Amino acid sequence: MSAALEKPQIIAHLQKSLNYTVFESRWIPCSAKFVCMGNFARGTGVMQIYEIQHGELQLVKEIEKPKPIKCGTFGATSLQQRHLATGDFDGNLNVWNLEVPDSPVYSVKAHKEIVNAIDGVGGLGIGDGAPEIVTGSRDGTVKVWDTRQKDTPVVNMEPMEGETKRDCWTVAFGHAFNDQDRCVCAGYDNGDIKLFDLRNMSLRWETNIKNGVCSVEFDRKDINMNKLVATSLEGKFNVFDMRTQHPTKGFASVSEKAHKSTVWQVRHLPQNRDVFMTAGGAGNLHLWKYEYPAQRTKKGADDVDMGVAGSVTLLQNVTLSTQPISSLDWSPDKQGLCVCSSFDQSIRVLIVTKLNTV
Amino acid sequence: MPLIVKDHTWTQNQNTVYICVPLKGVKTANVHVICTDEYLKVSFPPFLFEVFLFGPINEEKSEARIGNGVAVFTLQKRRDELWEQLFTNIDKEKQKQVREQAILKVQEKEAEKSKAKAARIRQEKKYALETMMKLENEERDRIQKMKNEECARATADLENWREKAEENKNRQKPQRAGKHENKPVYQKTERANVTPAITPLHNNSNTTSGQRSSKQKPKDLPAPRSAGCIKISFTPRVFPTALRESRVPEEEEWLKKQAEARRAVDTDLAELDDLREEERNPDWLKEKGNKLFMAGNFQAAVNAYNLAIKLNRKIPALFSNRAACHLKLRNLHKAIEDSSQALELLTPAVAANAAARLKAHVRRGTAFCELQLYVEGLLDYQAALEIDPQNEALRNDTDKIREIIQGTTSPSSS
Repeated sequence: MSAALEKPQIIAHLQKSLNYTVFESRWIPCSAKFVCMGNFARGTGVMQIYEIQHGELQLVKEIEKPKPIKCGTFGATSLQQRHLATGDFDGNLNVWNLEVPDSPVYSVKAHKEIVNAIDGVGGLGIGDGAPEIVTGSRDGTVKVWDTRQKDTPVVNMEPMEGETKRDCWTVAFGHAFNDQDRCVCAGYDNGDIKLFDLRNMSLRWETNIKNGVCSVEFDRKDINMNKLVATSLEGKFNVFDMRTQHPTKGFASVSEKAHKSTVWQVRHLPQNRDVFMTAGGAGNLHLWKYEYPAQRTKKGADDVDMGVAGSVTLLQNVTLSTQPISSLDWSPDKQGLCVCSSFDQSIRVLIVTKLNTV
Repeated sequence: MPLIVKDHTWTQNQNTVYICVPLKGVKTANVHVICTDEYLKVSFPPFLFEVFLFGPINEEKSEARIGNGVAVFTLQKRRDELWEQLFTNIDKEKQKQVREQAILKVQEKEAEKSKAKAARIRQEKKYALETMMKLENEERDRIQKMKNEECARATADLENWREKAEENKNRQKPQRAGKHENKPVYQKTERANVTPAITPLHNNSNTTSGQRSSKQKPKDLPAPRSAGCIKISFTPRVFPTALRESRVPEEEEWLKKQAEARRAVDTDLAELDDLREEERNPDWLKEKGNKLFMAGNFQAAVNAYNLAIKLNRKIPALFSNRAACHLKLRNLHKAIEDSSQALELLTPAVAANAAARLKAHVRRGTAFCELQLYVEGLLDYQAALEIDPQNEALRNDTDKIREIIQGTTSPSSS
């Protein structure tokens, strides 16, 4: 029994029931506050800021907006400003100053349909280069925005003429280790994963994992691409080793089946890039650790280097609700603290213990 | 008939009677004793020894020792007196009564004993269960307590961190300008160190992040990227729907069925001998039938289809086309049969055979309406509409049939 308790434990510390559907929750950097974004039943968007005080959640601020908000990120803002970039159901990208939320700091009609996913890089002191925001939408396009450039995206990844478009469900930045390099990874509903290199403005790699891709994330945005986790429908997720790209076979990967339902979200621990948590459609969370193989590259048949994928072990799992957990965010300031929101209209603050011994 | 034993011996004193019965070589296991307060019977087949005692004895305190070829009974008298003899002289009736009583008494005793035993076993089982439950509860409580402790510790940690974070935030604002010169080295190493964080130093991470931001402020951000556009294409699929939307098992079944239908040719017909080579090919016959239908020669078309069906019963198109011919020939019942057969063959319902199903439904619907079975016809037309909701003519026909059923217009063929 004591051996079992040496594993990291996932403790549901606080829970709050809300009166609206919450799609995403994000920690405000350098604070014990987080923002929940969603939509009221009356069809308007809402952002609520909660603070953890004396063992319970206090509502600090509530902001209502005309359109429901689907996703948000603090990734592209500086630490002093801490502006939240959100995508809404109407395809608008807005950057808000949460102290003065009446009008956005930056606003653009990014897409024709709902913005499904958003990510930011270059802010918060993480990564070099200009802060940029990427949005992926149901209209099949992925666009990169710079808040200093109005109205037009900096990069636009769109289907060719006459191509039937597929919904983009998730986007992630990575490989931003110096001023020029940057990569965007996008996952689509038909199982396509595409990796775009923004330095060369080209498609660097693509693959298809058969089931719709719900979430992709690099283990770190600000280093040379190391690992990429892509989760999909039907309870599977793939971990790709991104250090070695084979010209035809692409990246090596290991696939794992878990959750017995859609894996909605994956998030790496900011303090340890080999530990990540996946959130499933049955309301459960799995904590995983990736182990590197003895040799990360090997010589293939034609004497070209190819990558070797490692293995993934399950550290802990817990079931929190009956509805899918749609979003998960680790606190960048305190190791083990995370907030998750699920479709049973509730948010939970969790503490994961013993992560320093993992 | 048991042998009565008479060569027993007995002695007595004031309060006990000793009776010694020789066992005559019978095994001790076969000796059966019934003893009550006034009667003793020892039966060891084929021998029997019974005695109606002179005076009452205390059966519970008495004992019997059986072994070494003898049975020795030590009977405690109830009344301390010397008996003149062992036996009492009582008449047959009385004897019978006493015997019966004895047997009853023994039975009762046995029953009581077994009840007591059962009760005792039940008791013990209950006790065992209760102790088990208690142990398990204790175990559960222990685990819960450990978990609670862990939880409390983590919560306290969190509170600590939060307070420190607040303090630091308040402290770092005026100090920010001063501190950043002597911290850059520490900051660089922290950034390069991507292995597990130095957890106890939470407040340090807060202050360094503050300093990091201050260091970046004077640095110029690179200009916005020059606009670019990357064109992409998506992975094609055999069926136009994504894997999660497709009904792959049904589609595969349909494809398999088609393949089988192609292969199944019924070749053991005697009439085949006098057919030409090409007339043995159901496809060729289907083509022939189609041409005859176009030319207006419906009977001949029916013949062609008949032969084709004889060769291969699994091609739905043959039935469907034959139904169309019968419709033209006004063989409405045959038309209905054939289109039903075609629809049966067109299961499972997938996108690939939608057009064929549409045609079959329309033909059957028409036949029903011609027979004035408007309700059935409407059902078929509605099914057809489900397959192809955009078809204007179909919609009009369905509405017409509905009106006819509702009796607003006089019956007319559709």
